[in-house]
Amino acid sequence: MDKQRFTPPSWSTQFLAWFLKKDYYEDVQGDLEEEFQLKAKDTNLIRAKRWYTWQIIRLFKPSMIKEIEAQNSIEKETTMFKNYFKIGLRNLWKYKSSTIINVIGLSTGIAAFVLIALFVKDEVSYDRHHVHASDIYRVTVKNYTRDGDISRQWAFASGGHATRLKEDYSEITHATRFYAWAFPDLNYGGKDFLGEQVVFCDPDAFDIFSFEFIEGSAETAFPDIYSLVLTRSKAVKIFGTDWQEKGIVGEAVTLSRDGNEAPFKVTGIIEDMPDQQHFHFSYLAPIRFVELIMGEDAVNNVSGNYNWLTYIRTSEGANLPGLTKDANDEFWDKYIGQFQSGANARDFYDFEFQPLLDIHLTSNLEGEFETNGSIDQVYIFSVIGILLLLVACVNYMNIATSHYSRRMREVGVRKVIGAFKSSLIKQFLSESLLVVVLSLPLALVLITLSLPYLNEFVGKQLVFNPLIQTDLLAGLIVLMILVSSMAGLYPALFLSKINLVQALKGEQSMNASKWNFRSFLITFQYVVTIGLIFAIGVIESQMGFIRNSDPGYNREQMVSLSLPRGDYSNETFRNELLKHPNIEKAAFSSRIPTGRLADSWGSRFFRGDSAVATGFRLPVVSVDRHFLDAYGIDVVAGDNFRDGMETVLAQDTIATGYYVINRAASIALGFDNPDEVVGKRLNYGPSSGQIVGVMEDFHFESLYSEIVPTLFLVTDRYRRISLKLKSENIRESLDHIEKVYAEFDAETDPNYSFVDDLFNDQYQKEERLSSMIKVFAAIAILIGCLGLIGMVGFIIETKIKEIGVRKVLGASSGNIWMIISNRFLVLIGIAFVLGLPLAYWFMNDWLENFVYRTSVSTILIVMPAIVAVVLTLLAIAYQTMRATRVNPVECLKDE
Amino acid sequence: MKEYQLGEFEEIVLLTVAILHEDAYGVSIKEDIESRLDRSVSVSALQTALRRMEKKDYLKSELGEATAIRGGKRKRFFKVTKTGKAALDHAKETRRKLWSAIPDVSYEYSKAWISKGLRLPPGLHSS
Repeated sequence: MDKQRFTPPSWSTQFLAWFLKKDYYEDVQGDLEEEFQLKAKDTNLIRAKRWYTWQIIRLFKPSMIKEIEAQNSIEKETTMFKNYFKIGLRNLWKYKSSTIINVIGLSTGIAAFVLIALFVKDEVSYDRHHVHASDIYRVTVKNYTRDGDISRQWAFASGGHATRLKEDYSEITHATRFYAWAFPDLNYGGKDFLGEQVVFCDPDAFDIFSFEFIEGSAETAFPDIYSLVLTRSKAVKIFGTDWQEKGIVGEAVTLSRDGNEAPFKVTGIIEDMPDQQHFHFSYLAPIRFVELIMGEDAVNNVSGNYNWLTYIRTSEGANLPGLTKDANDEFWDKYIGQFQSGANARDFYDFEFQPLLDIHLTSNLEGEFETNGSIDQVYIFSVIGILLLLVACVNYMNIATSHYSRRMREVGVRKVIGAFKSSLIKQFLSESLLVVVLSLPLALVLITLSLPYLNEFVGKQLVFNPLIQTDLLAGLIVLMILVSSMAGLYPALFLSKINLVQALKGEQSMNASKWNFRSFLITFQYVVTIGLIFAIGVIESQMGFIRNSDPGYNREQMVSLSLPRGDYSNETFRNELLKHPNIEKAAFSSRIPTGRLADSWGSRFFRGDSAVATGFRLPVVSVDRHFLDAYGIDVVAGDNFRDGMETVLAQDTIATGYYVINRAASIALGFDNPDEVVGKRLNYGPSSGQIVGVMEDFHFESLYSEIVPTLFLVTDRYRRISLKLKSENIRESLDHIEKVYAEFDAETDPNYSFVDDLFNDQYQKEERLSSMIKVFAAIAILIGCLGLIGMVGFIIETKIKEIGVRKVLGASSGNIWMIISNRFLVLIGIAFVLGLPLAYWFMNDWLENFVYRTSVSTILIVMPAIVAVVLTLLAIAYQTMRATRVNPVECLKDE
Repeated sequence: MKEYQLGEFEEIVLLTVAILHEDAYGVSIKEDIESRLDRSVSVSALQTALRRMEKKDYLKSELGEATAIRGGKRKRFFKVTKTGKAALDHAKETRRKLWSAIPDVSYEYSKAWISKGLRLPPGLHSS
């Protein structure tokens, strides 16, 4: 008999095996094979092969193909999942310490992430509720210097911009101004409500913004110039909680200011403006009233007097860049043309139309109506949130994979019984899901407990209630799935890959010392930790730098308050205050240091006999002659103001001016030696006179900005008084101030503040940022440490015999500690090299925000590494101590 | 009465299994049909018929011994069950009844048909 065997085409066989019903395969393939052998022998191999394949192709028909195991497989899967969860729970219960570490790590990670997500979501949702949000723009004006440098960009426009823009450009369908008429008193039915902020606007405002009317409507809001629309909470305040039953539309209220009274009528009630809006007004009234009071000219100028918050709404899909270009090319020429000096107005002004949706996050212009958010902050927190979540996941991965020695046998047995790799992956993924689900309640508790603190911190009213907020609930579910698959995927792949034979033999040679993915994960954790510690260090050192830096004026025991209203002589008020022995000095001014230098006029400096425009911005502060003394600012050349050196500003006349400028101004004028500039002639705004003195530079504004050239003059346009107190009995001095204030103005309370508080307030944003980053960094470090402790525990466990042998041979605990630490120290080294430049780059960027900034010292650079090393060594020491205290006999006795 | 449905090819396969008695497995059945009836049978058609009849309980099968020529795969031996036997009997009886019902004239018609070289009308088979 011919024993020669022929081989049928293998891919046909594979194809058959793939589609044919399992219980048919053996005999059918056997039949085919048998016949193939016969055919190959009788005829020839090629024909036999062709026949074989052809037969298989013909077998590919519905009755022969495997059924898609639908019903059956679901049943099987659920049974398996039940098993996975059971085993998972048993493991979690058995290894409580690692379960606790994982649950703490994941729940804090999730909680921090959710809190940050709430904050970020709130920040990016500003102004989106307006129906036409994407077509609304704010008109802002850029001012340029003679050299073409931008000097200021105003969040406000001039009074005449809105109407003219709307008239001239068909794309602009609506335009409104908002003008806050400084806090008139409101009287209703004999009751006074003092200092209410009434905002005057054009009727278009209701077509631009979607203000929600409760009573009245957008159409009937402003029937005449004495109309008043107010918000729900103001309605409650003025008319009581039952305002809605009373039917207050049509009620008469009186607005009064500076002795003038105007009869207004309530025409509509709107909902309070939502928190997520970049401005909040409580009363809206027609701007035509302001026109009436101030005169047409005052509300219609086309440059300067930037007091009019202006918004336009364009037709849908209008070409904004084109519109901006047209407006800038035409507007200034058309309405201003040339200045008297012969310069073209268009060279000094530019419109910029800011998209409404960008204002809250990106705009920080001159005179923003409310403090806006910052896109940087949103980015920083997003990055931190994601990092925290990653660190928590990495933690889980580390612990789960170092767990492998405990699971190896189980994996081996499962494989022998016939588990596929995919089912093992499913098993370990369901275990990570289990841990995430267990972490969730704790995470929810953490979120609920810490939300009030976060709210206080960021000044928001964030709400967390997933039962009501369905989007939050959905988000949480997605987050859980995401986290469990992120955390579980690597351990699942890792454990399912375990070699069967090794697993069953219980070999533990699995690359415990090799460079593997886990080392990468640990390095990642160290990078995050080192980076965050470095960031905290830099922020702290910058904050310390600012806190301790000398702004150049005295801010200790300085109290500042707005002046009482009413008619009185400043001098009397001052003298009354100074009567108290503890009040040493008193000085009036229009603004005080820590404020902004927002007022400025044009100036011309005399070189010889010809006056030349100075070409730089020279802001002005009105002070009295005591101001420099009160704030301890030195005069470096010339003199301080003397009696009678008053610049009396009046309409239609050029006043005689006496100016004290700062050193920066002197240098900007070209006089490095301040003595030389004293006595020089200068025209400043509607005044003409000479520079009487030069004072030392000081930080009128925050350390964010450079010291700019500044001019002081004495007028009577004061808004505040600053008082220097003796350090003892401050309470008593404040009582005196209150008493005196009440004598001059019984209706309002003195609103005083300490200048050093105001000084610190300037950096509140950074302080807040710094403490929030600190909290989150602390969480990241905590999670990292927990993970480290857990992981080292397992590493030691797998090496328990090695430790035993070493101890028998005479190694001390210290030796063993070093051996285990070595590897981590290498990883810290790598993390340091990778992480620090990254963090340095980020933080340098942040420091660039400050004109006056600290330098990054060596200690800041070394610190993170030291912290990482110390924490690691401590964690390892803790676990090693436990391991080495065991008698070697215990761990070596059985093999 | 219980309905026995049996296709033509199924009937042949069932009969062959009965003929082969103890030795009816894929290859032997196929070879037997091919040699006896001089028609080629595809594995696919044969297997479909076998499995359908097994499902209808006309056949039962069990796995037998493996041989080298089959690459170590076992044979599946088929046996006709009682139901299978009944189905065959039923088929035979139906045919017999039909045969006996044909009047003689028909044969002439039929012969004439064949002599003209035309095909038989559907439903009539020459055996």
